[in-house]
Amino acid sequence: MEITRRNFIQLLAGGAAGIHITPVPWKMMDDIAIWTQNWPWVPVPERGRFDHERSVCSLCPGGCGIEVRKVADRAVKIEGREDFPVNNGGICPLGAGGLQLLYDETIRFTSPMKRVGPRGEGRFLPVSWSEAVGTLAERIQALRKDNRPEALAAVDGSRPGTASEGLVKRLLQAVGSPNCYSMPSIQNTYQTANLLMQGNAGPMAYDIENADFVLSFGCALIEGWGAPARVIGAWGRWREDSKAKGPKVVQVESRASNTASKSDAWIAARPGTEAALALGMAHVMISENLVDRSFLFNYTHGYEDWIDEEERPRKGFKTMVLESYSPDKVAGITGVAADRIIALAREFGKAGAPLALYGKGKGNLNGSLLECMAVQALNALKGGVNTPGGAVVQQGLPLAPWPDVETDPVARQGLYGGRLGTAGDSRLPFAESSIENMVEAVMQGGGASPVDTLLVFGANPVFTLPDGGAFRKALTRIPLIVSFSPYRDETAAMADLILPDHTALEKREEIVWPTGLQYPFLGLSKPVVRPVYDTRHMGDTVIAVAKKVGGPVADAFPWRRFEDALKARLKGLAEARGLTSWDGSKPVWKTFAEGRPVSPDYDSFDDLWKKLDSGGFWYEPTHDFHDLSTCFGTPSGKFEFACGRLEQAVKEAARGGDAKTLLHRMGIEARGDDAYMPHYETVLSADAGGDTLVLVPYEMFNHSTDWLPNPPFLTKTIFDNQLRRDESFAEVNPETAAGHHLKEGDRILIQSDAGEVKVRVHLFEGAMPGHIYLPLGFGHTAYGVYQKDKGVNAAKLVAGKKDPLTGRTVWWATSVRVKKT
Amino acid sequence: MSAKQGKHKYGMVINLDKCTGCGTCTVACAAENNLSVIKDETDKQRTISWMQLFKVTNGKPFPDTEVSYFPRPCMHCHYHTPCVSVCPPTATEIDYNTGIVSQIYTRCIGCRYCQAACPYQARYFNWWDGHFPKGTERYLSPEVSVRMRGVVEKCSFCHHRLMRAKTQAYAEGRRELKDGEYITACTEACPAGAIAFGDLNDPNSEVAGLSKHPHAFRLLERLGTEPKVYYISSKDWVRRMADNYRPDEFQPL
Amino acid sequence: MENQSNASEKNSKGGSREWSELLNSTFLPPFSLKGWLFFLAGLVPALIAGWVIFPMVLYSSQEQPFNFSHVIHADPDIGIGGDTELETCLYCHYFRDDGTFAGIPDLYACTMCHDDPEYPMGDSEDEMIFLEQYVAEDKEVPWLVYSRQPDCVYFSHIAHVKMGEMDCTTCHGDFGQSEKPPAYKQNRLSGYSIDIWGRNIAGFKTDTWDRMKMSDCAECHTEMGHEENNACFVCHK
Repeated sequence: MEITRRNFIQLLAGGAAGIHITPVPWKMMDDIAIWTQNWPWVPVPERGRFDHERSVCSLCPGGCGIEVRKVADRAVKIEGREDFPVNNGGICPLGAGGLQLLYDETIRFTSPMKRVGPRGEGRFLPVSWSEAVGTLAERIQALRKDNRPEALAAVDGSRPGTASEGLVKRLLQAVGSPNCYSMPSIQNTYQTANLLMQGNAGPMAYDIENADFVLSFGCALIEGWGAPARVIGAWGRWREDSKAKGPKVVQVESRASNTASKSDAWIAARPGTEAALALGMAHVMISENLVDRSFLFNYTHGYEDWIDEEERPRKGFKTMVLESYSPDKVAGITGVAADRIIALAREFGKAGAPLALYGKGKGNLNGSLLECMAVQALNALKGGVNTPGGAVVQQGLPLAPWPDVETDPVARQGLYGGRLGTAGDSRLPFAESSIENMVEAVMQGGGASPVDTLLVFGANPVFTLPDGGAFRKALTRIPLIVSFSPYRDETAAMADLILPDHTALEKREEIVWPTGLQYPFLGLSKPVVRPVYDTRHMGDTVIAVAKKVGGPVADAFPWRRFEDALKARLKGLAEARGLTSWDGSKPVWKTFAEGRPVSPDYDSFDDLWKKLDSGGFWYEPTHDFHDLSTCFGTPSGKFEFACGRLEQAVKEAARGGDAKTLLHRMGIEARGDDAYMPHYETVLSADAGGDTLVLVPYEMFNHSTDWLPNPPFLTKTIFDNQLRRDESFAEVNPETAAGHHLKEGDRILIQSDAGEVKVRVHLFEGAMPGHIYLPLGFGHTAYGVYQKDKGVNAAKLVAGKKDPLTGRTVWWATSVRVKKT
Repeated sequence: MSAKQGKHKYGMVINLDKCTGCGTCTVACAAENNLSVIKDETDKQRTISWMQLFKVTNGKPFPDTEVSYFPRPCMHCHYHTPCVSVCPPTATEIDYNTGIVSQIYTRCIGCRYCQAACPYQARYFNWWDGHFPKGTERYLSPEVSVRMRGVVEKCSFCHHRLMRAKTQAYAEGRRELKDGEYITACTEACPAGAIAFGDLNDPNSEVAGLSKHPHAFRLLERLGTEPKVYYISSKDWVRRMADNYRPDEFQPL
Repeated sequence: MENQSNASEKNSKGGSREWSELLNSTFLPPFSLKGWLFFLAGLVPALIAGWVIFPMVLYSSQEQPFNFSHVIHADPDIGIGGDTELETCLYCHYFRDDGTFAGIPDLYACTMCHDDPEYPMGDSEDEMIFLEQYVAEDKEVPWLVYSRQPDCVYFSHIAHVKMGEMDCTTCHGDFGQSEKPPAYKQNRLSGYSIDIWGRNIAGFKTDTWDRMKMSDCAECHTEMGHEENNACFVCHK
């Protein structure tokens, strides 16, 4: 049979016809469509049982209660807890995006590591825990053998008062080094101001909710200051129109921030002149008799002119203010019109329970001690100290002390003579551990660095310190750097050895007194997920290192692990009269103002621990407002306008020498009695003005500006006139921009004495003329692709004066030059 | 003008006087709804953010400048829903029993007509398959499906939370939900309590009351799309931002 | 038209003229008998391929990790039972407190009874596999789920079973009576189980549980007078 071409086509036609009357084409069409909907690389979240774990957020010192939603043991969402007195259901952007800090492998260390590439490059190889701990312990042993234990130094970003902080200090003390440095934060400023004026280094406790006039000097009230969810929650209540109207809120700040815009009034004072503004207000209040005379007479020292022990007449605060801070003069310093100052002072003076708050942005960095004192002086003028709606005098949490460290001769010698730099000595008596001084000491001289081994805990000073890059330079001189960071941050990239800590949701940690909260509060977080990677609690690692070093160092740590050390401290709470639950019926600030004692809802430490573990918090919703005669621990036993402790320190240090020279070295130019009272010192160097602009870095609430990496979700909230396509934008007033021939979007070079950065211009009417504003937290050179190389780091431009008395950096005003590129 | 009346009509009221512009709503939304993260989240033409913050200023010179914020979810337009009326494959639809405008990713053909039609720019296109930093696929919630490349997505009023609330109610033997049982993730997270969410049809609900507030307004109200997201602001300059007014047309309070 | 008549002239040679005429008088193409034979030679294998081979190739067949007998387990004598058939099912396939459905029991639920890997409850080989490989190792059994809907689907058991008072068998058939789980058949293209994607390749449905596609859900909703539940978001997420 001959098969023709036609037959072949007929065969094919038969096949084609046949296949169409089978399910093949129809089923395939359907299935292929479905196939395109299920690409194997698009993740399908695993299903399972839903669970909730209640805990406390430890990402910032805000102390928010959180509820972690879990599916099949995976954490899928962080939400605010409504049964929690601080945040009452609210949460902040960082907290809400917290899971990206837990699971993102590209920003975390997955095990202990040692460096293999050059410093800063971030190349590491995994090592075992025993090798990592052993390496560090041997190094410490060697330092002690060489009789130079002080060459071990630590930079600790742990929050003050926590067991973590305590363990680091204890390790250094047992080894024999006084060189333990904390990262700057507003809490240091508060504590020192309280020590000088109130005589106790307790936390600042602002009873904001009970105030009827809130005057904030620079606090980013709704942008992350204090316990953010507490303040924003209160703010929301105040704007609830049908209910009782909240206090009038006035913000003092140089830029139209969210807080300034959303406040009832905005006072635009030049950055760094807040103290002058407060004193100008004091002038009006004193001269118009809008002060609480009974409080001033009974419970303060140095308000009126006084006679000292040596029978010399001394100038009082009143005289100083009336002489030196007239509204006209203050208007010249601050740029705020004199009539505005007078009106504000009258409003503050006539309010029933006015409260002046001091802060600098979110409070992640230091403030100015003198400014803080000047603001606190305003509260004192109105008797708003230790009253409901005022600044409450608190002593700190009743935590039990650990047993004293038994030091050996090597350690004692190191502790006595080994302090680096000038912190805490005659030049800076109130700078307990200023990191700036360590940097100075390391960079001094051509020889070997006085620091041999540097431990870094929960901090990223290479990036966050507003020091123009000095810390990074200092690191290059330090032979061994050990980082305990769980994250691949800039400082860890410089480290030789990594002993990674757990991250927030994996570890137990206390939140000791959220910043600014009026009542004693302790939050206790618990691990809500099993550690995702091979990390260890930094407390456990510190104890393990100490044990490995052996001898008296090991003996200083009579605990098996962190939790034992923590429990030993929390035992103190069992003695105090607090509560571990909150039924939500009545806000704590209401109970607090009533001042009625409460009976504890636990009967033993074990009971307390059980409740802390499940509830996550302890607090004391009451306060004794009547102990004004006993609550001040100052030399005079009163609230001191003239700070005896300061004068004493200067006198002691000057012993025989000239107090004037010494004061100058401390950064104080005021002379006579003014020097020991809250007064104003100029911030900018003499060369400011003319063609230069003043650079003011600012913190954002919706972007991580401290040592934590920024969760990528938060970048969704960044506006494209802040950061666009990896370029930072600087805010400039249109008028100033016109003077410098700048238009929206222009690319410019900002130069300071410390360095230069390239940014783009955003014209913003809310920027103070003559100033240039740059957001902090951008410009990372480490972490993963979601954080790296985005914008520029404003902290690297900061090159300013040092804050008087504390020696901390004045990061809020740097004179810069601007050039179009 | 009238739209079909269903049993429930879920809506939102955002109090801009309370809103602090903190961005928690945006982040909580992203975390709740498995939002994809691209390398450059500052590229606003590519990034996805169901609840997007818009910053406005009153334009006055220093120091009288003020800023304010508009958090913008999907408006779930109740009448002649612009996106629904143009969608060729019916991938988006309004359910009059809830008032929620749905978006079905597996049905979407990626033509982006809805994106063009939406007056609020509430719709986002997936230029890439859902992407998550390495390791973070572990936080994905099974309640919301992960989107593939080539589809449009938008705020769903956290519809899965309605289902969650209903499931809970059924377990307790109830068919009806109480006010506040079903709220969106942004409502729950807002630390200022600026967002209220509930059934506008229920005269006793919080939102029904707030939506009649004298300071309440909606965005581009005069388009007649009956958005179910209301805003409250006591400031005239903020309310004025909500629509394109001719000079002298805006009525201050 | 002209071409066609030319073609029929060419074909009208030989003794098959009547055949051809008959065929050509219908709508069929004007093939010769030989042509038709070739046509059939193409058609028949295509039909066989489409109806017999294709379904075999399209679906993969996998066995469960080990055999599980519903008959043995759903026995009031061993304590698993209830007043109704539904209650019996719910004994293991229960609702959690939040109303979500637990589905196939996890290891924890199984170990309520099979708590000791050393002491089997019965004498089957399968139980030994379970005890040795899963209970002793504290490992979840990787059961293949016949009726799992794809990720884009939201399904609420409680809405159907508790509020809608439906029987398990309406969707799942008589699984509860099985002594041995059937092979799990998965569509190689879509990845879906045959039990939701349609057991009959032609799309015919004899029992309610033969298929659980969108149209089946919608059909039932409509029949039961719940058309409002055909809104997209009710079943999609």
